[in-house]
Amino acid sequence: MTARYGMVIDLDRCTGCGSCMVACAAENNVPALPQATARTGLTPMLVRKVSNEMDGAARREVFIPITCMHCERDTPCVSVCPQQAVEVDKATGIVMQMPQRCLGCRYCMTACAYHARYFNWRDPAWPAGMEKSLNPAVAVRMRGVVEKCNFCHGRLHAAKEKAAAAGKREIDAADYVPACVEACPTAAIHFGNLADSNDPVSQESRSSDAFRLLARLGTEPKVYYKSKEAWVRQLAESVSARNPEASREAKHV
Amino acid sequence: MKVTRRDLLVWSAGAAAGLMVTPVPWKVLDDVSIWSQNWPWIPQPPRGPVEVKQSSCTLCPNGCGLRVRMVGGWPVGVAGVASHPVSRGALCPLGFGAHQLNWHPQRLRAVRHRGNTSTWGEAHAAFAKACSEGPVVVIDGWPGRAASQVLENFAKSRRGEYRVVLSPETRALLPYERWSGAPATSLGYDLENAQTIVSFGAPLLDGWGAPGRFTRLWAERAAGMTDPQLRLIQIDATLSRTAARAWRWAPVRAGAEAALAAGVARVLLEEHLVASRGPMPHTTSAEAADQTGLTADAIRDLARTIVARGPVVALANDDNPAIAALNVVLGAVGTRGGVVRRSKTAKSYVAADAEIRSARAVLINSSVPWDFVPRTDAEVFRFAAWDGGSSKADWLLPAPGFLEELTDVPAAPAMATETYAVAQPLAKAPHEVRSAAQFLAGIDASLPTAEKIIRARCQDLFHGRAGTLCAQDQTPVSKVASAQKLEEQLWNGAVWVGEPFRAESFRCELKEWPTVAASVPSQNWLSSWSAPILPPLASKVFQESDLRERPEGRIA
Amino acid sequence: MSSTALPDSRLTDGQLTDAKWIPRGEERTSLSRFLLWLAPWVVVLGVGVYAAGLCLYYGLNQTNMDNRFAFGLWIFLDLGIIALGAGAFFTGFLVYILKRTELRPILNTAVVVGLICYSGAVAILMIDVGQPLRAWFTFWHPNTHSMLTEVTFCISCYLLVLCLEYIPIVLRNRQLRRLPSFLVFEHQLHKLVPVLAAVGTLLSFFHQGSLGGLYGVLRGRPFAYRHGFFIWPSTFFLFILSAIASGPSFLMLVTATVEKVTGKRLVAGEVFRRLGFISGVLLAIYVAAKSIDTLVWIDFTSPSVGFAPWQYYMHKPFGLPILFAEIVIFGLLPAFLLTYRRTAMRRGWLLSAAALACGGVLLNRFVLTVQTLALPTLSFDEFLQYTPSWQEVASFGGVIAYGVIVYSLSYRYLPLFAPQQGDDAHVSGH
Repeated sequence: MTARYGMVIDLDRCTGCGSCMVACAAENNVPALPQATARTGLTPMLVRKVSNEMDGAARREVFIPITCMHCERDTPCVSVCPQQAVEVDKATGIVMQMPQRCLGCRYCMTACAYHARYFNWRDPAWPAGMEKSLNPAVAVRMRGVVEKCNFCHGRLHAAKEKAAAAGKREIDAADYVPACVEACPTAAIHFGNLADSNDPVSQESRSSDAFRLLARLGTEPKVYYKSKEAWVRQLAESVSARNPEASREAKHV
Repeated sequence: MKVTRRDLLVWSAGAAAGLMVTPVPWKVLDDVSIWSQNWPWIPQPPRGPVEVKQSSCTLCPNGCGLRVRMVGGWPVGVAGVASHPVSRGALCPLGFGAHQLNWHPQRLRAVRHRGNTSTWGEAHAAFAKACSEGPVVVIDGWPGRAASQVLENFAKSRRGEYRVVLSPETRALLPYERWSGAPATSLGYDLENAQTIVSFGAPLLDGWGAPGRFTRLWAERAAGMTDPQLRLIQIDATLSRTAARAWRWAPVRAGAEAALAAGVARVLLEEHLVASRGPMPHTTSAEAADQTGLTADAIRDLARTIVARGPVVALANDDNPAIAALNVVLGAVGTRGGVVRRSKTAKSYVAADAEIRSARAVLINSSVPWDFVPRTDAEVFRFAAWDGGSSKADWLLPAPGFLEELTDVPAAPAMATETYAVAQPLAKAPHEVRSAAQFLAGIDASLPTAEKIIRARCQDLFHGRAGTLCAQDQTPVSKVASAQKLEEQLWNGAVWVGEPFRAESFRCELKEWPTVAASVPSQNWLSSWSAPILPPLASKVFQESDLRERPEGRIA
Repeated sequence: MSSTALPDSRLTDGQLTDAKWIPRGEERTSLSRFLLWLAPWVVVLGVGVYAAGLCLYYGLNQTNMDNRFAFGLWIFLDLGIIALGAGAFFTGFLVYILKRTELRPILNTAVVVGLICYSGAVAILMIDVGQPLRAWFTFWHPNTHSMLTEVTFCISCYLLVLCLEYIPIVLRNRQLRRLPSFLVFEHQLHKLVPVLAAVGTLLSFFHQGSLGGLYGVLRGRPFAYRHGFFIWPSTFFLFILSAIASGPSFLMLVTATVEKVTGKRLVAGEVFRRLGFISGVLLAIYVAAKSIDTLVWIDFTSPSVGFAPWQYYMHKPFGLPILFAEIVIFGLLPAFLLTYRRTAMRRGWLLSAAALACGGVLLNRFVLTVQTLALPTLSFDEFLQYTPSWQEVASFGGVIAYGVIVYSLSYRYLPLFAPQQGDDAHVSGH
């Protein structure tokens, strides 16, 4: 089975609650870092609040969940890792990070345009006893290694085991749902196989409202966004490419 | 024998080559890799058989359905239950990290008396003494449970008082209680049938009610649509999360919600846009415009937009009577899509915020939010699973934490139908903890246990032959084979849903527009959260990102 | 070569002396004064080692680097120090391959400076990575697509080469020479030197380039990204050019500093001028190449990925003046001063120009390391600030102190500037 797993995130639905961020951290044994800041935190799923930079009644805001984009073409982080601790899984299109091989040189973090990679600046520490609440399906990392979203690969593994136990060759799509997708209260995150033209996610990714962030860089990210609002779609490319007029769409009473 | 340089070179080269063939360098390299991958101080997850069980979250009165993954008897992950009629598979951000709460460093593990460690025996003796010396006031943060009944029975039996801290959603329904006699806890909003919802600051998409209830509804009927089936009009001074996604956002000055409600009601009545004939507000159009910061034309347009597509209902974030009066004008009281009465049996309660005079002791249940501090000089016995610090309570009593005790889940605040669920305990409680009901049973042995009450309630539901049992599929109660079966289903996570409301069961009499009292300021979305601490992983949204501001007074 | 006894080699009662270690015929200051000179550097080194120890023990949270500034002061230091240390391989190349024997007097200094720079860089890299114990993984699982793999291999090999070039210099110490096996070993090694020089040139060509390639390949950072030739972005070649342009200048500065501190004229003025001229010419070529590259980047490379160049320069203080400074003030100006006869003849102008050239290469490394990371990529990113922590600065200081100490010891005990035996070299003036 060759799949290209990807996402379409509906920005008209995201309310910025942060459930996906917490669910992701719980599923992937990410330690809580109460002394960290927004620049040193560990948030493989990160929701960013973006405004149209106006005040008063003309102000608009949107919440943009950012994960690893699982870039397909000349994946920047894969090509720069000196010891092949990152690779693209051909069967699924998932960009895999192996923390056990990571040297912690952080070159991949420099390479990522989406800032989707996070470094363990300190050893993870949980209060006494809390390790009993860790998820055994995911290895716990140590300090000095980089980590990022891997589309809840542990759940793919579990889905494959379940299919194998039932004697099937293909997994059931309903069995492989990443934590953030499951957690979203407005079902804003859609996950599926972009290679399957019947998959609703694949179809959504081709709609006119869909866009990818910094698509012009040419890395072919597999996380799409969609919005009916033009000012939101304008956020896709860099500042200089943005059209300032579109962001003044009014939603006046 | 002279060792020449040649010898030296030959031997060195030979040794180097020879070493490569021995296991020594490879073993060393291999060991180094293993050392560098597995340091002994890195915690390891638990190992053991994996089970998935269902229960309900008990950290706020919404009682969202939980699917809990357990390994070796410990919860290692939580998710929502898609078939749950209230939460519909969603949880709040705090819920996803709740399984780590029981190990929070601030977990209360011993009785504390004025800062010093004490024992249950001493607490018991002190409380017994207090009970014999005077009336006791019992405060409950989550009324309607079996445990609540135990608390209430105890208070009544001692000629004491039973008071309740209402969730903001229920508190917003208090004006209707005043005008109709129907208890606020028996009322709800029929959002599922409304086509226009006007929210005066209520954070419908961000922490109002059970997270899944409105967000799922909105996602299905409104998200991303230019002409949505469900029109959400948000009245907010700043661009809140709900306002940012709403169909329309009306920015009014902070505190001017009542003025806007009055202005809108005036337009509706003057232009005969509604069937109702009154009551007419005292505020004039000009005054409304002045106070809200909107023009009179804007208010007029808003009023017309509100009634353009009915049924319409207005929601307040506090017990502001002006918004309730607007609902009366809109004809949204006791009608489909409006404020409805879901229960005949729910009670009205005395609010806990009033000053407590002439009480010998106050007992505060662990369901009461930590920031609630009773205004009293009496001896305070406070149950809590976590110590939030700077408590004024005389006694801090360690209560069961997350999923550590059997409890039932009455209807979530503001639901349009009655629901009932049972939250079975899934985590082992530390031996030092005791619930308030257990504690009181030690004083008064005649009190029933919570479990007994829950089983009795299950029996009543079965015998009532009404409603539906929601599990993987929906089964009318009339088709359930036995009370035992019903009980079993509820224990395993099914939810009982009552019959839809009846329109004629609820009427409000309002002769005059209410005078605008000083309204309670908008609640923080965490206000129903009873624990004084946040789940550790909440740091992801509050600390490790710029997504949310840290809530005041809450320690992560 | 005279073997006159020197004033302070006479033993006076009880005075501590290391005269027998000092090269024959050379004058050095007294041991106590030398130790006094070393003392503050040793302290700085000690503080640096302590700071490094903290980072190794507690982890990299001791620094002010974060997820957005994954590279900081140390990477800037590494890149800068290796660029300046390029004088080592380039001088070897000039002397042994191009037979520019007039530069021979500076050769030993070049090797020592090179060794200091590369060993210092490797030491800092060991602290900079999150898992130093896994450093060997790059050799075991190399990624042929990654510039950093290339850098790792070449720098490790080149450090080995530098050690092999340094050993003969050490073995020329007066006392060590007395051991026949060392004497013979040194002599044999000495025959290897041209081979080592060639190997060193090849290795250095690649890693100097790859260090530039590190940034040029970053598709995700349009500020740094460049097109180039085959698999090598233009920064590959620009880094090589700037390194070989500044290497000789750095050697000039080091030698001039040593002359100032020791109060001796160690090397003929002609050597300085020659180094300056080579540096100037290369710098001019570099400025030309860089200007073309910048134009291509502004007009084609950056806009083709949706980033108009003006957005890189709208954040103070990193405006256009930085680009101007890099190319003109620290590039064109010193190139001119180093090659123009009038200024090149005057020591003051020469050294100032050399300092500007070195400053230019450091500025270039800074811009690519720090400014690249500070600049936003996503349209809703902000321009970020970064200030190194004291542990980072102390480690940086420790490396500089280490360099001064190693050089001071080498200068004191080894005939760095003496003509070598068995060569037909110019006798450098004393």
